[in-house]
Amino acid sequence: MRRRRLSTVLRTAAAVLLTMLFLFPIYWLFMISFKTAEEIFAFPPKWWPSRIGLGSYAVLFKDGDATTVANSLVIAGASTLIAMFLGTLAAYSLARWRTGGEHLANWIISQRMVPPIAVVFPIFLLYVFLGWVDTRVGLILLYTAFNLPYVIWMMRGYILDIPRALEEAALVDGLTPWQVLWQVVLPMSRAGLFATAIFTFVFAWNEFIFALVLTRTEVTTYTVQVTHYFGGQSNFWAKISAMSVLGTLPIFIVVGFLQKYLVRGISMGAVKG
Amino acid sequence: MTPVPVPRQGRRHRDRVFRLALVAPSIVVLLLVGVFPLVYLIVVSFQNLTMSDTDTSFQGLLNYRLVLTDARLWQSLLHTLIFIAVALPTELVLGLAMAQLFIERIPGRAVFIALLVLPVLVSPIVAGATWALMFDNRFGPINQILGWFAGEPVSLLWTIKPSLVYAAILIAEVWQWTPFMFLLLLAALSAVDKSQLEAAAIDGASWWRTFRQIVLPAIWPVMAVAILIRALDLFRLFDIVWALTKGGPGTMTETISMFTYVKGFQQFETSYVAAVSLLIIVLLSTVVLWTLKRVELSR
Amino acid sequence: MADLRIKGLHKYYGSVHAVRGVDLEIAAGEFTVLVGQSGCGKSTLLRTIAGLEDADEGTIEIGGEVVNDEPPRRRDIAMVFQNYALYPYLTVYDNIAFGLRARRTPAGEINAKVRQAAGMLAIDHLLDRFPRQLSGGQLQRVAIGRAVVRSARLYLFDEPLSNLDAQLRDEMRGEIKRLHQELGKTMIYVTHDQIEAMTMADRIVLLRDGRIEQQGAPLELYERPATRYVAGFLGSPPMNFIQAELLGDGGGVAVRLTDGTTLPLPASRTPRLAPLAGQPVVLGLRPEHIARAPAAGLRAGQVRHTARIDLLLPTGARTYATFALGGAPVVAELQAHDVSKTGEQLELAIDMNRSVLIDPTTDHVIA
Repeated sequence: MRRRRLSTVLRTAAAVLLTMLFLFPIYWLFMISFKTAEEIFAFPPKWWPSRIGLGSYAVLFKDGDATTVANSLVIAGASTLIAMFLGTLAAYSLARWRTGGEHLANWIISQRMVPPIAVVFPIFLLYVFLGWVDTRVGLILLYTAFNLPYVIWMMRGYILDIPRALEEAALVDGLTPWQVLWQVVLPMSRAGLFATAIFTFVFAWNEFIFALVLTRTEVTTYTVQVTHYFGGQSNFWAKISAMSVLGTLPIFIVVGFLQKYLVRGISMGAVKG
Repeated sequence: MTPVPVPRQGRRHRDRVFRLALVAPSIVVLLLVGVFPLVYLIVVSFQNLTMSDTDTSFQGLLNYRLVLTDARLWQSLLHTLIFIAVALPTELVLGLAMAQLFIERIPGRAVFIALLVLPVLVSPIVAGATWALMFDNRFGPINQILGWFAGEPVSLLWTIKPSLVYAAILIAEVWQWTPFMFLLLLAALSAVDKSQLEAAAIDGASWWRTFRQIVLPAIWPVMAVAILIRALDLFRLFDIVWALTKGGPGTMTETISMFTYVKGFQQFETSYVAAVSLLIIVLLSTVVLWTLKRVELSR
Repeated sequence: MADLRIKGLHKYYGSVHAVRGVDLEIAAGEFTVLVGQSGCGKSTLLRTIAGLEDADEGTIEIGGEVVNDEPPRRRDIAMVFQNYALYPYLTVYDNIAFGLRARRTPAGEINAKVRQAAGMLAIDHLLDRFPRQLSGGQLQRVAIGRAVVRSARLYLFDEPLSNLDAQLRDEMRGEIKRLHQELGKTMIYVTHDQIEAMTMADRIVLLRDGRIEQQGAPLELYERPATRYVAGFLGSPPMNFIQAELLGDGGGVAVRLTDGTTLPLPASRTPRLAPLAGQPVVLGLRPEHIARAPAAGLRAGQVRHTARIDLLLPTGARTYATFALGGAPVVAELQAHDVSKTGEQLELAIDMNRSVLIDPTTDHVIA
């Protein structure tokens, strides 16, 4: 009994230490964003700001840089919605009827293995031809395409876990196959839908290479914007940190609300492979 | 009684159309990204398009021969492999250790896990920027803490000094992705059959023996998937290195992705980049297929 | 309610020929049980009738119309599944109302029908609960309620009681039978349990390897089986089978067993069997046709036989006793106190009137 209690105390202490270690850099980032310029360059560096200063943020909003976060939101949001919609439909077909057989399934997985860097150039040229460079549509379509294999694969796994009898009962009861998908399959796979959507959204939100190559001035996303503050000689730490926080906070909030789905989603995805 | 012939087309046909209609849109979107670039790469890699030269005639294996002699390319490949070889095992071992820590109930477990997930959610660019801040030679806390131990101010140039850049990048990378391994392995460990563990305890097996012979085989499928995913991601390493060192000093930390980017978008050697890209795809596909066959992961 | 006609039905799963040419006619209002071992094709047949599977050959007619091309929702059928198939995120009320809502029934009508069905199945107090709060028996009632509420013309049951414990199963069997009497609808019921088949069916269809082995009223199959398979399938404990030879014996016929025992057959059967004398046969005896020899002498057709009891299985009212006959272990159904311990010698009366003779080469019942 005492051994168990001691073990728990030690474990908890270790957990606290570990969490502090992992969160420290994030804390530092947030903290820098609240400091004034003099505080940032004070030596030795202080570990907390004298007050929560929002000066750096004000600059970003004034300069219009903060709109890049809005761009990220639109692009990531739209591509997630489209990928989830199309991907879940395809996943249903694959799960229930093995449409396309092994060939289709393998081809879809192989798409996920494609390294972005290898295709970024041809896609860039294609977009130049189509006039899609520096447009929201262009990036949305691309992110959708890159997320589809993941969505299809994950949702297929979740749908396979739903007992077929539920769908059959609905068919007998009077639903069309399309209605069965919407009224039975989707509600039953809600946890999987949320978890997959979160991952898809986070991926699109944090994406860099494609955004770097395919945007210029109109549709910069926040990840690219952050790199604009890296200088040759010195970095604009204030702007970097504030922009980073602006781009990171929404994700933290969204995931905070939906975190139980996230953990369940990762575990399910893991156990399924 | 002879069976009455029944028209088979109506119902079955409708069903098949429905099933195909469900996958069709996805296939169309994927073709854009999947087929077109591939075709383009193959065609262009056999030409000689550069910033200045727009000659689209067939050039044979010109670019592929250049690949063989390009030292910078092979070095970037080497750098990438170093990153994979160091980061992957570290993340795996640390993640496993963390998972073991959290496998038993402790108060506030859910909160800890939720907090530990945060590094994964941050953009790799932001992760790189954060650690650039941490590693700043004058104003970064890392040097400050080291200074406490050394007794005098420490001003290490983590993102510039050749002997330190790899450490800096690896620390940032491991920091960001160990939680991913941790979550996956935690889920896998939770799924291990408790009755087997209890039987081992009754039999008097040591912790190490139980781990090696019961736990490890049970979590291996998940671990293998995690390793594969991370290895693929590490191969594409770009953002975090870009934010920390931009490949420097010189090209010392340049990864294969960064090399391709520089050649394509700064030097505009179109055909050469096409050849390189194609080779990357082939290389990755072979490795992945070989691994999958060997580990038999596909269901 | 409607009648069902199946002609020449074939169904393949890949290379497995699951249903091999089934012809079946079920009258309106009949309670038909499809029974057989696992893999005999009964579930496949049911699902094909429902439209959940496509027939590869043959026609299915419900109420006179060919429904092969119709999806399930247009066949006007209701189905009860083995694992209930209830929607976990809907209340019991919503589960039962699901089909009515899908067919756009007005809300008031839905309410009335749901409550009526719930009342019929004694679950009206559960309408606000969710499936996870209910026991197995209650879940099954809800599943039946969902089927019943729609007044379909054909009801299909796919092994609905297999997941319930023995006591509940007994109870539910009676409920379903009572339901059939109240509603009068055509019902097709699939089970592997021959007791269920015997107790519930107006007509039994015994399936084996995708074909109908025999069909008819329960007692017809029980007392006049067509093949060895049917004879051995129905009845618990199952019929005893003993190798033997048919003898012409003076003016009558008898069976001689491998251990030399001769059992004369009743005179009424002589004309039929005499021509076959000398042939090997398999003698089939049901346990209930072997009793303790009564003190008041044997009836016509009964044969006296003394045996040593090797094994006793008392069940309360009856005791099943095993003894050796013709070199094989044979089970007799005795009264509780006919025998007190194993090893005892007992005088038995074997009723040869009801014995079954089987041709060992074709496995068909001769007489």
